[in-house]
Amino acid sequence: MLIDKEKCIGCDECHPYCPVGAIAAVAWEGGSVSEIDQAACVECGCCYERSHVCPVDAIYMPKLEWPRCLREYFSNPNVTHPSTTGNGRGTEEMKTNDVTGRFTRGTAGVALEMGRPGVATSFKDLETVAMAIARLGVEFEPDNPVAELMADTKTGKFHEAVLNERVLSAILEIKIPVGKLKEVLAAVKEVSAKIDTAFSLDLISRVNPDGSTPVLAIATEAGFIPRPNAKTNVGLGRPLFEEA
Amino acid sequence: MSHALHRHGTPEQLKNDYTFYARASRFVNREGCGPKLRKILSILLKEKNLVNFGSSQAGKSRKAGLDPDAYAATLDKAYGVAACFSDKDAVRSVLKNLKEADTGISIVISGLIDEIVKIAKEVDVKPHTAFLSLGVHGKRALLPEDSILEITTMCGHGLVSSRLAKAVMKRVEAGKITPEAGADMLAQPCPCGIFNVDRCRTILESKGKK
Repeated sequence: MLIDKEKCIGCDECHPYCPVGAIAAVAWEGGSVSEIDQAACVECGCCYERSHVCPVDAIYMPKLEWPRCLREYFSNPNVTHPSTTGNGRGTEEMKTNDVTGRFTRGTAGVALEMGRPGVATSFKDLETVAMAIARLGVEFEPDNPVAELMADTKTGKFHEAVLNERVLSAILEIKIPVGKLKEVLAAVKEVSAKIDTAFSLDLISRVNPDGSTPVLAIATEAGFIPRPNAKTNVGLGRPLFEEA
Repeated sequence: MSHALHRHGTPEQLKNDYTFYARASRFVNREGCGPKLRKILSILLKEKNLVNFGSSQAGKSRKAGLDPDAYAATLDKAYGVAACFSDKDAVRSVLKNLKEADTGISIVISGLIDEIVKIAKEVDVKPHTAFLSLGVHGKRALLPEDSILEITTMCGHGLVSSRLAKAVMKRVEAGKITPEAGADMLAQPCPCGIFNVDRCRTILESKGKK
């Protein structure tokens, strides 16, 4: 996003709307106007189309070229991501698992929502984490838009051109046998001290017939405390995926 | 829709915060799902305790001015519908109606897992897959305080800025705006309709009293 300095009246009303604090006042022709730090801006559109906060329409979206356009694809859910044909950063993951069978009994999904909640991330930090867990021989979800930014999905190495791009969040998503979960969570814990951002950690599993979740004990044993609130696919999708 | 996960708060604070997401799969049943999504939307809209609804495809939520009829007309080009509720009775009622409607579209509910399992049992629905939150890790020093996270994490895409939440909280504390107005203001950036303005108002009210 950019601010037209000729139009801006320096009211500063847009400043709090920026999730990453990229808008600040700068001196301009004897007064002050607002300016967006282009290195920090994630092109989410909050200061522009969502808030309509500017009284003089000084904020505008320029045409974004590669790789800067990645910021908008990942940070603005109103924009359809070209690689998923969906809005937002992720995949269908477990939302449609009752019809896709993506996660069967005995498998677990682990997702690291880098930059969430609200602190943003660079792809450099995604690479650091991806390379740490790739060493365990895990496979990154090919439908996740992050996978196509990797130069090598076996090592988790990203293309150099995208490393400095910043997004509100992006998701590293893997599917593993439940038996590998403890090892993966240990690696996640170790690498979490080596990055310059925060991340929200997700764990996906089929639910047992009695309503319990088989991976909970493994997560707890690995030193993670599952939160009391979760997402539950209640199995109303049809045709229901039948496990072999 | 992992954006409905990780809503911050204690179990007591979360007991009045539930979201629904109906989602067609692009691999299985997205083709021609518009009429089914409209049916689901009508079930959600019929529930008197509906708090908010919307979609990133529509670009805005009810609280940001999304018109239900205009929205329904766009659902032939959509693949999901989201909404949020503040009470368990509404969750039970909606789930029962969705089960009876048998649209075949996948339904995901977010909220206290024990409560959802209990409600599912009451309505004779079997939970299929769980998506658990193992919390926030990494550089946690970057996070704002709990009371701010309770508000901002209700938009899982992170579009409700912690700075805006703080600014609104200050204005409510100073008596410059009501908690209702503050909650509506904070709901504007979240297009998906899962920002629970009832819960936000309660949080702001408690700040106002202090």
